[in-house]
Amino acid sequence: MSDLAAPGSRLSAGSATRRGPSWWRDPWRKPRILASITWLYIAWSILPILIAIALSFNAGRSNTTFQTFGLRWWINDPADGGALLQDPVIRRAILQTYILSFTTMITAVPLGVLFAIGIDRWRGRPADGANFLMLLTFVMPEIIIGVAMLTVIQHLLSKIGVHLGTGAQLLGLITYQISYPVIIVRARLLSIGREYEEAGMDLGASPRQAVRSVLLPLLYPAILASLAIVFADTVDDFVTVRYLSGPASSQPLSLYVYTNTRAAATPAVNAAATFMMISTTLVIVLGYLAYKRFARGQEGADMQNFTQL
Amino acid sequence: MPEAPAATETPSRPEVPASGRRARKVARAEARKTSAWLPRWFWPSFTFPGLLWLLVMFILPFYAVVSVAFGSIDRFRNPLPVWQPWYWTTKYTGEVFQKFFGENAYLQPTFIRTLIYVGIASSILLVAGYAVAYYVARHAGKRKTLILVLLISPFWISYLMRMLAWVNLLESDGYVNRTLQLLHVTDQPIAWLQGKPITVILGLVYGYMPYMILPLFGFLDRIQPSLLEAGRDLGGSPTSTFVRVTLPLSKPAILAGLVIVSLPMFGDYYTQNLLSASPKTNMYGNLIDEAVGASGQGPQGAVLVLILMVMLLVPMMYYLRSTLRAQEGR
Amino acid sequence: MKRHPREGAKAAREGLERQLGRPVSRRDFLRYGAGAAVSVPALSAILAACGSNPRTTETAAFEVATRENPVRLPVIGEPIADNLEPEKGATLQLYNWDAYIWQHVIKDFCAEYDCDYEITTFNNMEEAVGKIQTGQLEFDVWFPTYDQLGKFVEGGFIMPLNHSYIPNLEANAWDVFQNPFYDQEWQYSVPYTVYTTGIAYRRDRIGDDEVSGAENPRALLWDSAYADKVGVYDSYRDTLGFALQKLGINDLNTEDAAQITQAKDALIELIDAVNVRATINGAYAKLPKGEYTLHESWSGDIVAGWGYTPKYTQSDYETLGYWSDPDVTKRPADNDLIVVGGNAKSPVLAHLFLNWMLDFQHAMDNFSWNGYQPPQKQADPDSLTSMQGLYSKISGSWAAPITYVPEWMSTAVVREDDLAQGLRVHELSPDGDQRWNDAWQEFKAGA
Repeated sequence: MSDLAAPGSRLSAGSATRRGPSWWRDPWRKPRILASITWLYIAWSILPILIAIALSFNAGRSNTTFQTFGLRWWINDPADGGALLQDPVIRRAILQTYILSFTTMITAVPLGVLFAIGIDRWRGRPADGANFLMLLTFVMPEIIIGVAMLTVIQHLLSKIGVHLGTGAQLLGLITYQISYPVIIVRARLLSIGREYEEAGMDLGASPRQAVRSVLLPLLYPAILASLAIVFADTVDDFVTVRYLSGPASSQPLSLYVYTNTRAAATPAVNAAATFMMISTTLVIVLGYLAYKRFARGQEGADMQNFTQL
Repeated sequence: MPEAPAATETPSRPEVPASGRRARKVARAEARKTSAWLPRWFWPSFTFPGLLWLLVMFILPFYAVVSVAFGSIDRFRNPLPVWQPWYWTTKYTGEVFQKFFGENAYLQPTFIRTLIYVGIASSILLVAGYAVAYYVARHAGKRKTLILVLLISPFWISYLMRMLAWVNLLESDGYVNRTLQLLHVTDQPIAWLQGKPITVILGLVYGYMPYMILPLFGFLDRIQPSLLEAGRDLGGSPTSTFVRVTLPLSKPAILAGLVIVSLPMFGDYYTQNLLSASPKTNMYGNLIDEAVGASGQGPQGAVLVLILMVMLLVPMMYYLRSTLRAQEGR
Repeated sequence: MKRHPREGAKAAREGLERQLGRPVSRRDFLRYGAGAAVSVPALSAILAACGSNPRTTETAAFEVATRENPVRLPVIGEPIADNLEPEKGATLQLYNWDAYIWQHVIKDFCAEYDCDYEITTFNNMEEAVGKIQTGQLEFDVWFPTYDQLGKFVEGGFIMPLNHSYIPNLEANAWDVFQNPFYDQEWQYSVPYTVYTTGIAYRRDRIGDDEVSGAENPRALLWDSAYADKVGVYDSYRDTLGFALQKLGINDLNTEDAAQITQAKDALIELIDAVNVRATINGAYAKLPKGEYTLHESWSGDIVAGWGYTPKYTQSDYETLGYWSDPDVTKRPADNDLIVVGGNAKSPVLAHLFLNWMLDFQHAMDNFSWNGYQPPQKQADPDSLTSMQGLYSKISGSWAAPITYVPEWMSTAVVREDDLAQGLRVHELSPDGDQRWNDAWQEFKAGA
């Protein structure tokens, strides 16, 4: 290979002369620059988080320097009672986070899956309109949805009994999260195609049965992925939740972390954030394992396809 | 040789009628003969629950915002929506436009600053994100799965955790300053979290990077190697293959990535709040956030929200048209 | 002529009956109030409202209460009857500023009266009012400022008090609060804390003499020698007021456009001169850590600053200093209130809670934690720099002892005189408020 790439040789691939050290001139070289960029990026991406997690196990009060190891901010803080599992505010926040995430997950995903199936098959202008509306909620900055929902609840819905608080937060969250399952399921639908359903219908199933027993099982991987992603996204959400929060009990962990990151922060905030991360990681891992089980035997049941969703 | 007769020979699936009611009736009759006929409302009905939700939860709040923007203030200086369009007033819209275009247009610098930050952040995201996605898609080989996991982990390691991590590191006694002082790059700790645009821009990049990498990776992973090999066979160097084959092919993915990343960034106010909280780095989202909380400024906040929505509709429609066109191609 | 509180209630009730077209129960009355046309939830009212232009329901501006013009608020709503038993097994709902009351004190109250409690917090009054206006957050006790008291009362957000449950006010509170100008005969409120506004600074970076000896100490925040280390409050009235005083305009309620513009320009100068940041906790949480050298501050904030120093040692405490205007007529002094919510579920408990917080020991315990002085007669202002508070005592295991107010911060002690003669913040007219808000927005939008 190398003499083909010798400068001046007419057989060299690419332009007539290529300058630089020998490894640069090799057309089949390993992409060292790209590789280093990638690994640098990964380090830049993951390292701060590892440090933040480590700081949550700090026995001292500092959240910038690690002093000694201790579970003070997780289990029991004798001085101020500010530990994760001790402070009633944080405990309530953990509960609220789970309430919001689970409810949103089980509401938004079915709505989204049905929407995706319908949008995929529906043709015509109204379909484009519906599709546009859905995509709009996907790229719209969350502050717009938050402020709009705050306005409508404060001035309109409060008159029929819907008030700021958990109910309002759920309304806002579901609206914002419907688009995720739609996009994921739609991507999957595009690669499935219609043959299976039509085979089912040829074998005598009604359209509804075909959808239920043929299409949906094929979509299980996508549905699981949506469940996991909607859950993770809702745990993290603080913009909508902040605008729509009511009494103290409607403050989830994400809001607690947001308001306290710049405030008199103790490592309890790190602990809360780590806790959020553990919850979503567990759900994602569960989702992935379930995905592997359901997609067994189907083409592309591996990590790559999981991420491509 | 007898010609194949016309459409009355049963086709195996219903045909899209050429034109006219008669043709449609014929097609429907044909379809009914096979079991593949579905009422026209069958598939759309799937979308109805979600669609209804979105219509109510999107259109109604949007109307409420419009009512506040063209409405007024009550005696507590809180916004008072005016539901009837014939009572609407453009007083607050006028005030906001005055602040953008009139004399002493003090909201203009904020707007321009937001454009600059989003522009720079998106460019960095595109270049760096593309590089990483390209490497992982094409060259990662055995380590692909591992790298993929590391790359998508920020998706579920929440945004807040990532920002918190940087806030901890960038404090005056945090590790970044310590390292810099250790390496004798600076003597005094640098106040990274005090109104430095570079912190905010890099924060935006850090926060939105996963959203850029994934669409790009998804696309680059699916490029057929044969296309690239063809480029090589025709005498291209790796660079020119990249420029002439890969790059044009990835246009839709680049567009998708840019849209997913830059549009939400226009409404971003929390990155700035967490990493800087200084008037110097105030973004458009902060204007909205502050107006919503301030007494007597509710209508102005609503006007700002409407302006943002209108501004974003244009690139959104453009993006939508190109994705629809791409999907029709399938 | 002195009106009995119930006479006023009767008239107001009749007005409401006429408005709703049906007899009203006490619950209706507390919920709607006599003037809250905006929050009637009935569908028929909505339909009726559709026809009329909502903008015309805005009523005229309220009478602004000042020291020269004390205001006796109309009695809207009915106070609770005498000698009622406190509600059993209830959850006391509090609505307060963030980190403004020590939970230890509330826990003691709940232990005594067998109840539970829940605190919801707000970051500024606009947010608080916005949420209370929707009518459905049922707070028993909340902590407003006094400047918009008239409006809150008319909106039905506050219940008139029955003094028989709160003997501690007459017994313990400063005289100036027995008949405050904003709420004559304290029909609706009791005082919570008193504070002045000044400058918090790091004594190890800028000496006491430098600050107090300067010609215009407020101008020190504009000095670029302290670049990157200056903070102001993220509150338009406080910070614009600070700028006004720096310019020598000692009217914190001015509506003069020229003066407001001058103050705004001064603040914008700060951005370039020192890269100022607007915070809510910079004075008590960040300055002790060294992030700020100078910060606009309320007296209570810096007094509580010791709890945020890195090592809680005496030398750490001594880095904190407070300056307030030596001329009492130029010193901004204010107080916060505790009130009972208009739709409180447990009003008797609420009244008892107000009484609890006015008790000398509980008030001082709260003071030892949040740094804000209560207006207690029994607390001799001069002794505050030599007495140790409860919070300091129970923090003995990790912090050096500290008195209620550190000795070197004696200017942070508030005296009755400050409230009698100092500068007060009053409500502005809608136009004036608009000017202040626009000026603030211009500052926050950055240059």
